[in-house]
Amino acid sequence: MMIEINQISKSFAGKQAVKNLELSIPDGKIFGFLGPNGAGKSTTIKMMTGILPIDEGSISMNGVDISKEPMKAKHLFGYVPDRSDIFLRLKGIEYLNFIADVFEVPKEIRKEKIEYLTKSFGIYEALDDHIQTYSHGMKQKIVVSGVLLHDPDVWILDEPLTGLDPKSAYTLKEMMREHASRGKIVFFSTHVLEVVEQLCDEVAIINNGHVQFKGNMIEMRQQFKEDDNLERLFLELTQNE
Amino acid sequence: MSKAWKLMKIMVKMQLSMSSKSAMEKAGYFFIALMMIPFGLLILFFIQGIIGNLYATLEPLGNESVILGLLFMMMAFIFSFISIGTVLSSFYFAEDVESFIPLPFQPYQILFGKSAVPFLSLYGLNTVLLLPSLIFYGLHSGAGILYYVFAIIIWAVTPIIPFVLTSIILMFIMRFANISKNKDRTKVLVGLLGFVFVIGINVLVRIDTGGENEDLARLITEQNGLLEFVTKFFPPAYFSSITLTELGTFTGLLYFILIITLSALAIFLFLTIGQKLYFKGVLGLSGGKRNNFKEENVQKQVKQQPVLFSLWKKEIRIILRTPTFFTQIVVQSLFFPIFLIVLIIIDPNSPLTGWGSDLNQMEGKKVILAMFGMTVVALGINPASFSSISRDGKSWFNHLYLPIPPSKVILSKLLVSFFLNFLSLMLITIAALFILEMPLTIWLLWFVLSLVTSWIASIAGLMIDLYSPKLTWTDEREVFKGRFIGIVPLALEATIFGVIILVLWNSGLEGIWSVTAVLLTILVLVSVCAQYFLNRLVDRNYYKLL
Ligand SMILES: Nc1ncnc2c1ncn2[C@@H]1O[C@H](COP(=O)(O)OP(=O)(O)OP(=O)(O)O)[C@@H](O)[C@H]1O
Ligand SMILES: [Mg+2]
Repeated sequence: MMIEINQISKSFAGKQAVKNLELSIPDGKIFGFLGPNGAGKSTTIKMMTGILPIDEGSISMNGVDISKEPMKAKHLFGYVPDRSDIFLRLKGIEYLNFIADVFEVPKEIRKEKIEYLTKSFGIYEALDDHIQTYSHGMKQKIVVSGVLLHDPDVWILDEPLTGLDPKSAYTLKEMMREHASRGKIVFFSTHVLEVVEQLCDEVAIINNGHVQFKGNMIEMRQQFKEDDNLERLFLELTQNE
Repeated sequence: MSKAWKLMKIMVKMQLSMSSKSAMEKAGYFFIALMMIPFGLLILFFIQGIIGNLYATLEPLGNESVILGLLFMMMAFIFSFISIGTVLSSFYFAEDVESFIPLPFQPYQILFGKSAVPFLSLYGLNTVLLLPSLIFYGLHSGAGILYYVFAIIIWAVTPIIPFVLTSIILMFIMRFANISKNKDRTKVLVGLLGFVFVIGINVLVRIDTGGENEDLARLITEQNGLLEFVTKFFPPAYFSSITLTELGTFTGLLYFILIITLSALAIFLFLTIGQKLYFKGVLGLSGGKRNNFKEENVQKQVKQQPVLFSLWKKEIRIILRTPTFFTQIVVQSLFFPIFLIVLIIIDPNSPLTGWGSDLNQMEGKKVILAMFGMTVVALGINPASFSSISRDGKSWFNHLYLPIPPSKVILSKLLVSFFLNFLSLMLITIAALFILEMPLTIWLLWFVLSLVTSWIASIAGLMIDLYSPKLTWTDEREVFKGRFIGIVPLALEATIFGVIILVLWNSGLEGIWSVTAVLLTILVLVSVCAQYFLNRLVDRNYYKLL
């Protein structure tokens, strides 16, 4: 499997948002992607998912290059965007059914999965309502359900936990652990350092579009003073500039 | 009040601002303004002709005041009609009111700001239609300076009463819409009902004023008799007319004061009653539907379909459920054929009924070419096609990370605009076959040609939208407002097909079948070319719109 990000760069109107970013994400790991606001996390994730064209460099998943074979690559991952700008005029159930059509999930499986996922997130009873009437957290949950519905190997989640209530956050975190334990990849960005400490096997901290630190949690602690907590470490790493 | 002005300026800016428009769009505006000049002159010429003729006939009978009466009645009707659309769209479909409510504004200030754009469009029309008409009337009657002074004041107050009446009625209805379960659908229905209502009143007035011929003689001989008769449904029109015909007399002045007072009263009512009704209606009106949860209902909706069909259904649902899209796309493309049918049905003796059978006497080639030309124009401005991409707005990116090939997404969008065109073609078919009694073969040939034309029109509109889409809107109206690029496909098609029609018309080619065959071949060739350019544009732009 593996995700390989090779020296990618991206600029918007002359301003570089991502510079020569290099990362490789191994199988069976929960990978945390950290960095201050505007560091380039979402931009990187959008390039990984084919939403933004890559200016330079390449990204491949399981050996499939996202720019060269986009359709094949897009079947491999599920993506939860940072903003839930999904089709608001659809009903929850219509949205999930649409996603299932796109990934050609057979009818019986989709029925079962929709019921299981939406019940565990507590939005089952809202499925017949328009997404427009959902709260922020409910929108987030319907998107997450859509991603899990087609059971992709790679999960790419941009701040998936923001807006979720404690119970749903717990459910999602359990699902992430379970997915990684099956040898699959969970790649997610977050600002919540406790979540990183609890959950991640590996982390990368980026600032101003390039990687400042990457490694597993143990290495990270060793590299810096033993007693430093993650918050201090994060602040130290990202304070320059 | 200065707060209200500021608020109004912001609202107007947000809706009309040029700052966010590209150089190309600005050039487009300029171009369209240029094209409007001959058109405007034509209208002026037309108005001047009508007023001149009427004046010459009615003046000897002392009934020239009826010209003004008719004019003011007509304006009141036009203003009410236009106001339905603009008021609904500014007051109710735009959900920006929710962002103004928490700010420290008085309700009437928000209402004032919100009426700015609808009012501006009324004054635009007012300037184009009423102002020159009043001037022409003045010229014909050889009026002095006093007439022009009063005319300007009357001109300025004319839109107020129709606007206030329409918006208060709409606000009153909307109060009840707010209680309904599916608010988006109700909003759309209210809009439709409004149009039907105004058309209905117009028809009633026409039937009522048409019938009693025997009275006419009496009315004509009596001074201002006709005027009273014509304006009996809308007294302000009577007051305005008298003000301008009995200048300098006590009666004239009295009616002038009356109309000014009424207008002031209308504004007062609008700001007082209006603000209460408006806020009762609009708060919590923002759309979406919540159902009582029933498990079977949800289970029933789970079914496997081909991706293309699923995409198409998604597009259609979004169009039907978004009030702005519904009115701009569905109502607009069906409006013309339905209007045509209604007009013909209302008046069964109209010269159009059974007109189709006369077609047999005409040269077949010319019939088919003329019908084809009309179809090109009718299908040329197709809001569904030039909003194909822009409609998605911020949710467009969802198409990018899902494993759907661009060609499939694009095809689904083409099928949507093609389908809507198809609906209007079917309506025209009903009119053509059953009311106009058009021969079946001619209809069939026209229908086949129209289907291909509609496909080309859909491609053209979509290409324009893909070339410069508007994805960053916060309010659906921005997809249509000020996007005059919708005219570009029409201009293109009109030019290309215009030349083809002209050539075929003058060519030695005879016979309906051979002309149709030639046209069809050309159309198929054009659509193949269009498809080729579309594919190239998709390759180039599809992933680069963000
Ligand atoms: N569409 C865009 N146009 C111009 N600049 C952009 C665009 N999208 C992002 N940027 C810029 O790129 C940089 C990186 O943004 P990005 O959204 O990737 O940050 P982020 O790390 O996800 O931040 P956050 O933690 O706030 O989500 C920022 O400086 C931002 O201003
Ligand atoms: Mg982000």
